[in-house]
Amino acid sequence: MSTPEPGTWRRTSPFAILFFLGRTLRLIAKNAWQSLAPLFALLVAYEGVLVNKLMLGGIAFAVFIATASLLSYWFFRFQIGADSILIRHGVFKKKQLDIKFGRIQGINTTQNPIYRMLGLVTVSFDTAGSAGNEGNLPAVTRDFADSLRERIGKPRTARTAEEADNEAEANALVQLNWRDMVRIGLADRRALIVFALIGPLMERIDDDIDRYLAEFVRIAAANGIELDAVGGVSIAIVVFFAVVFLFVVVSIAAAFLRYNNFQLFLDGQTLRSHAGLFTAHEHSMELGKIQTLRLEQGIVQRLMGRYQLTARQAISSGKRKSQKAFVVPVVTAALADSLHRKLLAPEGGRLSQNPTSAGFVPVSAYYMRSTILFAGLLPALLATVVLLKPLGAIALVFLLWLPIIAAASYRSWQRAGYVHDDHEIIRRSGLLGYRTVGLLFRKVQRVTVTQSRYQRRKGLATLSIFMASGSVKVPYIDHGKAKQLRDYILYKVETSQRTWH
Amino acid sequence: MFQNPEIALAELPNADDVEWEPLHPHYARVIRVSSAIFFTIVLIAITTLSFVLNLPLGPVVALYSLFAIAVSIAMIWPGISVQRRGYVLRDKDILFRKGVIWRSVTAIPFNRIQHVETSSTPLERKFGLATLQLFTAGGSSGDLKIGGLGKDIAERLRIFILNKAGSAIEHA
Repeated sequence: MSTPEPGTWRRTSPFAILFFLGRTLRLIAKNAWQSLAPLFALLVAYEGVLVNKLMLGGIAFAVFIATASLLSYWFFRFQIGADSILIRHGVFKKKQLDIKFGRIQGINTTQNPIYRMLGLVTVSFDTAGSAGNEGNLPAVTRDFADSLRERIGKPRTARTAEEADNEAEANALVQLNWRDMVRIGLADRRALIVFALIGPLMERIDDDIDRYLAEFVRIAAANGIELDAVGGVSIAIVVFFAVVFLFVVVSIAAAFLRYNNFQLFLDGQTLRSHAGLFTAHEHSMELGKIQTLRLEQGIVQRLMGRYQLTARQAISSGKRKSQKAFVVPVVTAALADSLHRKLLAPEGGRLSQNPTSAGFVPVSAYYMRSTILFAGLLPALLATVVLLKPLGAIALVFLLWLPIIAAASYRSWQRAGYVHDDHEIIRRSGLLGYRTVGLLFRKVQRVTVTQSRYQRRKGLATLSIFMASGSVKVPYIDHGKAKQLRDYILYKVETSQRTWH
Repeated sequence: MFQNPEIALAELPNADDVEWEPLHPHYARVIRVSSAIFFTIVLIAITTLSFVLNLPLGPVVALYSLFAIAVSIAMIWPGISVQRRGYVLRDKDILFRKGVIWRSVTAIPFNRIQHVETSSTPLERKFGLATLQLFTAGGSSGDLKIGGLGKDIAERLRIFILNKAGSAIEHA
């Protein structure tokens, strides 16, 4: 098992059943209704005591899942060929997956605590095509994963924890500590979304609290204690902050779980990260595959002076969700610049991706004016005029839209900008936070220069640069400059002797 | 550190000093015919509905006038927009321009083309037209689509671009 010999079909370690168990459960959770329907039918169809029926149902469920995982394991076979990995799987519907070594962009491993004790890992492949969830090899030995990496031309992984530590001291580019985990947790955007979701819910909870409080006040008054509405409001505020605090704690815990002891290495031309509290995640990406480098800073991250760095790979056609990205969750501006330099070497990386650096050229102020005109003034006036008759003076409220849009477009104009040298361009944008995207000219797929009527009158244009990972727009720059940049990009692409992927 | 690229830029081949190849003269007609088919169906639907529902005169007149405006725009617009469209083959890339209000020029270097496709609807076939589609990596929506080419031109373009793309890949 330790050395892959071509031409023989093999099964993975029986511990892979754990992997399939997890996958079966996930599948059931995803299609909860369809998969639980037979169980319900069973429960309803047979007569008897509810507890017995539930027990029976539970046993049937457990047996079903165990059998499904066992069968998935039994029918999962793989083979390392001369130039590809063949995977055969499927219980009823047989499938064969052929992953060509050339298509593999990166090999990632995850290791849960049980696998860690046994020295096993689950290998997953990043491919340029659409492999989906099936490109996994569950529960193979660490040596096997390493030999696979070597075969495909990716360097070895860290052998043991101690060695990894030694190596970390020697050449880890990034190492995150517990403070960074707290930062990741605080900056988690999902927490904000949860706040937005619980907002309306809070109102209802508020109502309940009000009713409860009214009762409480009545009883208190009966006992000679005086309370007023202020007490009620303060309790509601306390409840709100308790909920907020809870979510912050949860997202910090999630950060620890996912990113604990995060380490980033550069082995030759391969970027590799290692992290995780219980389940260890190891990701790797070849530098040459990087299409764009994205440095982002939300509001919370702005307060902490930290950024998130994401390296994006090509997406397979039409599957935006399957995009593989390499994330460094917290970096300082200085660290981001040094990473930027290393990741886009040798030709790129001389510019600073730090959004506050001095080099950025602003875009035309007409960018702000056109947004105010077309997204602010016109809709606001239209809504006011149309609704003035039925609503009366209330319709004037719609005019408030104008200052909101004006403020937003002023802000996003201030943040918009670009900087370039001979090899790369960095675009800056943002509304509340900052975002800069850097790319190498020679990796561009196609370019478009667009002019609206408004832009034509002002001699401006929008340059859209399409990469294999998505597009980057530089809005409202001088038309001549846009054309120059386009011609220069075409020249760089057409004279480039290196591959873009 | 910052090398001034402007000098190099000025000497580069300019993608605007080119002779744009127009699309097939029948293209505007094809668009008109296909919208005529669509509007005939809409007209039948409107008429049946107004009879079945026994609508009062006011809304019916409004509906028909809206319909008339839509039809006249659909008949006039292709003549304007098709004139603005054009393509240029250069040694290393293909350029395509389009747009009346939002004007754009797209450039695709041959060494970035993944594959090329020609297709034609029954209506296009009747007029001897075809559509050429160029695919680059990472895009599904934004790939270049050139409609209204003569059938033989589309085929010649396809072979030419494939050859160019192939040799570009071999060089790389």
